[in-house]
Amino acid sequence: MTHPAFTPAEARQRDTFLALMWALSYPGRTATLPAGDALAGIGEALLDLETTYYTPDAALAALLARSGARRLPPDRAAYHFYPQVDAAALADIALAAVGSMLYPDDAATLIIGCRLHSGAALRLTGPGIPGEQRCQVAAAPELWSLRARSPFPTGWDVFLVDGLQVVGLPRSTRLHVDAL
Amino acid sequence: MSHSTLAALATPRADYSYAFLDAFARRELRRRTLKAIAIPGYQVPYASRELPIARGWGTGGLQVSLALVGPQSVVKVIDQGADDSVNAANLRRFITRMSGAATTTDALQATILQSRHRIPEEILREYQTLVLQVPDPEPLRAVQSDSSRAHQMHADADYGQMWLVLYEQLVRYRQYLQGASYPSLVNGRYVISPSPIPRWDTPKLHQAAHLTLLAAGREKRLYAVPPYTDVYPLEFTDVPFQVEDQRDWRCRHTGVQHKFMNELPLADGSAGYELSDSGYQQKITAGTAPGATYYDDQGNFYHDGYLKPPVRPE
Repeated sequence: MTHPAFTPAEARQRDTFLALMWALSYPGRTATLPAGDALAGIGEALLDLETTYYTPDAALAALLARSGARRLPPDRAAYHFYPQVDAAALADIALAAVGSMLYPDDAATLIIGCRLHSGAALRLTGPGIPGEQRCQVAAAPELWSLRARSPFPTGWDVFLVDGLQVVGLPRSTRLHVDAL
Repeated sequence: MSHSTLAALATPRADYSYAFLDAFARRELRRRTLKAIAIPGYQVPYASRELPIARGWGTGGLQVSLALVGPQSVVKVIDQGADDSVNAANLRRFITRMSGAATTTDALQATILQSRHRIPEEILREYQTLVLQVPDPEPLRAVQSDSSRAHQMHADADYGQMWLVLYEQLVRYRQYLQGASYPSLVNGRYVISPSPIPRWDTPKLHQAAHLTLLAAGREKRLYAVPPYTDVYPLEFTDVPFQVEDQRDWRCRHTGVQHKFMNELPLADGSAGYELSDSGYQQKITAGTAPGATYYDDQGNFYHDGYLKPPVRPE
C-alpha cells in the first residue's frame, strides 16, 4: 500500500529529532545526527513560526531565520545556538530562561558546539543513567557553574554538539566535574 | 471552454503529509516530547490536533507515535494486552497506512509500542519506545478538581492529600484500593498517573531500559518516564504496595502462571483465565521461546526487593 511521501527533508528532521530524543533519554551517551551542518539541522528540526531562537553567530542566524522563527534576545529566546562557548556566549547563557517551579517547561534549550571526548571529565547520574555515566567535554567550566544555579525542575536542557555527534544533558542530570 | 475534461478541471493530487500530521504539528510534538523527557513526570501541555479518530480513543498516544514513526519503524499496538482488538487494529492500520511502517505482535521486535492499559510481559530493551494512551493524566483529579490548583500542587510537590487518601483506605479497608492508574512518584519529584495499567504493570516503569511516553489527546498533556528512572507507587513504608494476587490463576490455553490474566466467565458459572498479553501467548502457543519477563515463572519481579511481602494493618 502506498503511504504519503517520506521526503528527504522529513527524513532529515526525523533523524535529527530521534538523535536528540535518545541523547536526552540516555544522558552522556553519544547519538549521531544526520550529515550536514549539525546546528542548522537541529534548527530545521525544532524551529518554526511558533518558536523563538537566539544565536550570536550571524551566518547561523541567517540559516535559522529561514525556519520562520523569531529571533529574540537571549533572556527571552526558547532555543539558543552557540557554535562555541566563549566569554560573550557565557554572558548570554547566563541570561537564558530557566523556567519557574510552576512552569519549568518555559526554560530555554541550549545547543552548544564544543569538543567531546577531551577536556573536563564529567560524572553524570540521574534519570536515563544506570549507575553513573562518564563523558568528556571541552567547554568553559563556567558553563557548569551557571547550570548548577538552577535547582530541578528549573534549568536549561543542553545539547553538546561536536561534528555530527551529540550528547544530551537534560536538567534532571546531576553533574559532577572532576578536576583535570 | 475547449478542455472541459474531468482531469483538467480537477486540482492536482495532493497527498497527506508524511504520517498524517502536518509539519508544524509534528515539530511541536517533538519539541514537547524533548521537554517531557527532560522533566520526568511533569505534564507538558501540547496542541493536540484533530485526527480521524475520536478523542478518548487513543489520540494522544497516536500523535506521539506519528511524530516518531518512519518507514523503517516496526510498530506494535495493543489494547488491554491484545493485538487484535478493534481499537488496536484500527490505530495500527492508520499508523502503517500513513507511514509505511512494518507491524509486529512481538514486543521484542517492535521499535514503537503503542498501548492502552498494559505493558507487555517481556522485558523491553534500550532504544525501544513505549507509548501509553492516557485518558486522565492528572493524578490529583480526585483530590483537587481545579486543574490550576492541581498544577500549583505539583509545583509545590504538595502531595499530602494523596497520602491522606491512602491512609483513609487503610483505615476503612485495611488495604490500598486503587486498581489501575496507581499514582506513582517519578524521579522522587512528580506524582504521575501511569495511565490505567494494572498495578501488575506499574513496577515495570521503575528503572526500565526503555523510554516511556504518556500522552492524553483530549486533555492535551504529555509526560515521560525516561529510561533508568525511579518510579515508586505511593505506599506507606509499613504497608507496602501490592500487585494483583493471581498466584493460583492458570492460563487455560497455555498453562502459564504468574503473568497478568484476563478472567473469563464460563458457562457453568465458574471462571477461566487466559493470558492478557496476546503477543506473549502467541509465542508460547507457537513454541517460540519468549524473552525474559518482568515476572519470572515463580512470580518474582526482576528487580530484587522492589516488591515487598504483603502486610495487613491491624
